[in-house]
Amino acid sequence: MGETPATTEDHSLRGPIDRPALITIRDLVDEAEPLATPQLDDFLNPSVLAVSLDDGLCGATSARIDVQWTTQADYKFHYTDSKDVNFRWGKHPHDGDYISVSDLEHYHPPPDASSNPDDVEDSCIKQSPEELVTRAVLKLWRVAYRTDSYAPLNAGSNPP
Amino acid sequence: MSDRTLPDEFEDINEAVSEEWVSETTPYERVRHVIAHTYESVSVDAIADDARTSPKTARKHLNALANEGFVVTATGKHGGTTYRRSPESLVVEQAADILEQVSTDELTTRIAEMRDQLSSYQSEYGVDSPEELAVEQTNQALSESASAQRDIDAETIQEWQTLRRNLAFANAALSIANAQRFVDGDRHLTDGSVPA
Repeated sequence: MGETPATTEDHSLRGPIDRPALITIRDLVDEAEPLATPQLDDFLNPSVLAVSLDDGLCGATSARIDVQWTTQADYKFHYTDSKDVNFRWGKHPHDGDYISVSDLEHYHPPPDASSNPDDVEDSCIKQSPEELVTRAVLKLWRVAYRTDSYAPLNAGSNPP
Repeated sequence: MSDRTLPDEFEDINEAVSEEWVSETTPYERVRHVIAHTYESVSVDAIADDARTSPKTARKHLNALANEGFVVTATGKHGGTTYRRSPESLVVEQAADILEQVSTDELTTRIAEMRDQLSSYQSEYGVDSPEELAVEQTNQALSESASAQRDIDAETIQEWQTLRRNLAFANAALSIANAQRFVDGDRHLTDGSVPA
């Protein structure tokens, strides 16, 4: 599991990292997902909330979701695991680089969270409050975990 | 509320998580949650939409939250009332959260470190604030001739802004802790010290 995301991108989140929002997300993750252990990288001056997962997707044995959230409600939820698979849900300006993305919300697909404009997809997560975005990320991860597939992560639906 | 489907089955992730949220919380809790991290003034309709309630209900709760100091109001462009989180209430909340976890000794040490870091940004880039650095960054991009200067990246600007904001929370926490020592009469008597 890499310390830094395998692929980076030129775009950045607007505004400073919002400690109050990261704390809200930490408490929500702690309550909602038994496999997750969320921890701020620095309690007083956090830049990221690292959510350790006791199991990974599709054969990975452990994983981590790194969460960043700013005062402008831009965000990144970046998944990385012991098989070095990466993907990321994001919301931030991208100068129209992501041609398939209609608004700010987008998804960098596995296996390498590609930032290639041809690869980046519109995100299925459309709502803004951190409560709803966090719940959506955890639910999508859960469905992918149960079905042992990356496909549900940005499908946005899980029919019977 | 979503008894019709099994927990793992949903047509739309956004609807699914909204329904869960609505079933587990009251409109007041959702309005409070949404406004808690809304730092720029917005209309009651925007809050109501995010909080999954009616504008009428949202307005009632926002006005109550304004009365207790959690929210500040302003008059918007079209004459309507707009709402945002009170910065004062946010600072007090963060200070309380910090004091629950960090001793005043540790806080004093960390604040000194954070101040040093702030100074080193200022001396390294020769500007007083991350906003000035952002202007420099733009100028550098326009001139393309700044080979001697350090490359300024967006990450540095964000780290600096984040540090400055979190230092403000930490300073508030330490000030409150110090004030409490001297205002709390019982503790003052038992520890026998005299404020310098």
